[in-house]
Amino acid sequence: MKTCPCGSKSFFDDCCGPIISGTPASTAEALVRSRYTAFVVGSLDHVERTHAPEIRSDFNRAEAERLVTDCEWHGLRIHNVHETGDTAEIAFVIRFRHNQKLITKGSLSKFRRDDGHWYYLSNSPAPHIAEFRGAKLGRNEPCHCNSGKKFKKCCGSGIEQSGA
Amino acid sequence: MTKHFACTACGKCCYGLLPLTFKDAFANIGRFPLCLSWTPVLKGSKDFPMVKTLGVTITVAKGQELAVLIVPTSFIPSSLPCPALQADNLCGIHESKPSRCKTMPFYPYRDERFQAELTNPRPGWECDTSTSAPLVYQEQKIVDREDFDRERQELLDEVPLLRRYADYMFKYSHSLPNNLMFSVGKTKAHQVVTSLSSFLTATQNTDARNIAQQQLPILKTYAEQTAGDPKLAFFHNNYVNWSKEMAYLAK
Repeated sequence: MKTCPCGSKSFFDDCCGPIISGTPASTAEALVRSRYTAFVVGSLDHVERTHAPEIRSDFNRAEAERLVTDCEWHGLRIHNVHETGDTAEIAFVIRFRHNQKLITKGSLSKFRRDDGHWYYLSNSPAPHIAEFRGAKLGRNEPCHCNSGKKFKKCCGSGIEQSGA
Repeated sequence: MTKHFACTACGKCCYGLLPLTFKDAFANIGRFPLCLSWTPVLKGSKDFPMVKTLGVTITVAKGQELAVLIVPTSFIPSSLPCPALQADNLCGIHESKPSRCKTMPFYPYRDERFQAELTNPRPGWECDTSTSAPLVYQEQKIVDREDFDRERQELLDEVPLLRRYADYMFKYSHSLPNNLMFSVGKTKAHQVVTSLSSFLTATQNTDARNIAQQQLPILKTYAEQTAGDPKLAFFHNNYVNWSKEMAYLAK
């Protein structure tokens, strides 16, 4: 059995797998993880289905499908989860390689639960999270994408080390 | 100031990027490799008021106001000819050619008072601007204004559609204002371009599959023509990316 790309250290079949197949995510965090994993495994029906109905037609599926094939996904890190009742706000960072460039993208996303189903609502950039993360992880520490390699040999390759 | 101008059919202006109305872009969906091109203009520029009228205005860092033209564009590098340009340097679609081509040398994206300099041929062009050529511009007015007025009206008519698209892009592309700010006054090589797929999504176009089927072979052809030339990498990479998106929509 393969481990889940979302970084939970669980098996895919016990983690994002069932959610991508249609089992409702039990928490907003589980939805974030499964939507990231859906990009890694190329199951964008799940991403489209879990966009809130009012923004679903805004999903540029053609572009997302291209990103699935063009990007090398390096990992998801959840930073903050504020789930209160049927709404949630989650700060997270994804890392991926696109056009030979390593990209660290911090996001603050909002979610809503309707009839027991969590939906993605909106996203705003949160670059400070990404910077914080980059500064904290040492070059010789194990990479946060769970590859087992050192950070400098994996997601950290090509990143200038700060003087701090 | 008076300006004289006659086209000598040298074909030199039929190279490179061609701004289009949405109407002309979709009428030529099986001819031109299309994208949306974004041209920012700073407050204080003489073009600012007209760009504000025909485009959108955004506020970027430090309260700086930026007017942005968003134009459907035949996205062709300046070294390559228009696909409708024939070997004899005449236009293969002369009767139905885009408004942009009909209005040359004038340019209704700019106020009529500032059209004089547009009659000056660019380096290499063979336009006849001698006094034996017809008088085309005097006292800040275009003499034969039919094509200019029609193109300007088409642009005005399309403003609501363009703003709907801009709202969508600013909602979902958080890096767009910064990219526009960075591209102010830069050459065409640094300009911001966005995909046809984003426009079709934003406007919920119900004909997307048919459009993609016609656009896909054009993008593939240009991807092949621009492969391996480092100077055309910006064009080539975009053709490749957009081909993938059109291939998905064409299914």
